[in-house]
Amino acid sequence: MTAATAPRVARPKRPSRSFVGLLAFLVFAVITWWAASEEYGLNFDIPELLTNLTRGADILAEFWPPDFSVVSRTIAPLLETVQIAVIASLIGCSLALPIAFLASRVTAPNLVAYILDRSILSVVRALPDVLYAIIFVAALSIGPLPGILALILFNIAVVAKLLSETVDGVDQGPIEAARATGANRLLTVRWAVLPQVLPNYVAYSLYAFELNIRASAVLGIVGAGGIGNLINEFRRFFQYDALMVVVIEILVLVIIVEWISIWLRRRLV
Amino acid sequence: MTRTPVSRPSKPSQRTKHIATALVVLVVVWATLTVDVRIERLPDLPADLVRIFGRLFLEPGPEWSYFPTAFEYMMESIQIAWLGTIIGAILSLPLAFFGAKNITSGLVSNIIRQLLNAIRAIPEILVAVVIFIPMVGLGAYPGMLAIGVHSVGTLGKLSAEVIEGINPGPVEAARATGGRPLQIQRWGVLPQVLPEIVAFWLYRFEINIRASAILGAVGAGGIGEALVQSLLYRRYDRAGMVIIVVIVVTILIDTASGWLRRRIIEGAPGATATEDRSFAVARADTDFG
Repeated sequence: MTAATAPRVARPKRPSRSFVGLLAFLVFAVITWWAASEEYGLNFDIPELLTNLTRGADILAEFWPPDFSVVSRTIAPLLETVQIAVIASLIGCSLALPIAFLASRVTAPNLVAYILDRSILSVVRALPDVLYAIIFVAALSIGPLPGILALILFNIAVVAKLLSETVDGVDQGPIEAARATGANRLLTVRWAVLPQVLPNYVAYSLYAFELNIRASAVLGIVGAGGIGNLINEFRRFFQYDALMVVVIEILVLVIIVEWISIWLRRRLV
Repeated sequence: MTRTPVSRPSKPSQRTKHIATALVVLVVVWATLTVDVRIERLPDLPADLVRIFGRLFLEPGPEWSYFPTAFEYMMESIQIAWLGTIIGAILSLPLAFFGAKNITSGLVSNIIRQLLNAIRAIPEILVAVVIFIPMVGLGAYPGMLAIGVHSVGTLGKLSAEVIEGINPGPVEAARATGGRPLQIQRWGVLPQVLPEIVAFWLYRFEINIRASAILGAVGAGGIGEALVQSLLYRRYDRAGMVIIVVIVVTILIDTASGWLRRRIIEGAPGATATEDRSFAVARADTDFG
């Protein structure tokens, strides 16, 4: 078999266009048209958008230079943002542990508890954190408490979902071994399942904490405590240079917390 | 052969672990002791929560005549999320190629990745309040643009990770046929990564529905506005209706989109999925930011 005598081969036939692909594209086009249209949607108009954006560019110039004289006013709200995230993470992630075990078929005591727990979880997950905060602020008045409650629900939703999927995939061996020794369900979970998923649980909780810092930074916009209150105040009075300081602080805070979280994950797991 | 006695190996040092644990405990204690929550009010909290729940859903209960209005607001949220996701997808695709180590040099990809991380760090509601509401005014535009910009961070990062995991064979083949750089990306890389990336786009759409639902709270269009207005006028019956609409529509779209994502990644029922593609789906599923 030498290349020199290779026979000419006919070009392979082009694969036919798939019907499913075409259908998917049609659905995409219809939804996009619906969302962008004048009658049914947002009246999406690119030329108008571009003129708006270029006109608005002047406003962006007001953000610079940042007015660092407001830094002293931002320290206390910034610390409150961290407090909200810490407390909500602690309570939310603790509650998520038993809820996650109920949401996995491996550890749920019976089918009813499993289905009930999973349904409640998917309902809790469907509402975003800021909507919870709006409701709690309306009911309990402003301050960090509604923010903490909103983030607790958010943490339960995130950590219980991730952890229950990890529990689904644990090694069955230790569970059988624990049952063989006559352990009841709770003891089996404690000694055969928990040790297997503990590193994941810590990692998910730290991840949830990172998300909490970002979320609690903005919860104050709806009155739920933390640095978001100042965002509202500064934007109401068009103090864009002061607003810029808050944005920089949030960015720095988020990045520092991310570093700490990565460091902790390496030490604790 | 005499055995030399070996001493027991010393226990691995636990020092950094103890320091880490101590730091965590310290921060928790500080936060709990200094937070501005009145302790004496806490015992009333369960009763308060039950009362809110009752006002929203039981007595007077959701006002069904408000359903059409709430539904219309929710449709606006979905439209904002859809167009925002498209903006994010269009912007993130080239950035993902530049952010992949195997496509560009290490320096370029590092810079792009840092940029994507910085974008991810700023929540969309902040992007809307700080950048786009001042620029284009209130309404659906700022919400759409904020969602688009914030999505670029996550989409770019996840897509770049997928591109880094490609099989180099097709790229070499494209190069061997004399393809120009852009053609190599188009025919050697894109077909390999498109299913995963489209699945990420769909997942991002699910997340963006939640994001756009809250943007109304700051005047950037959608159902958040209906909730804020209802609660402002103490219309708990309407707020209850709004919450039900958000939950039901979100769960319906999550279910449809989740099915579609599995179909894209795993192919038609009966087809065998490659393992790394399922991994890509699981990877996206863990990204709530």
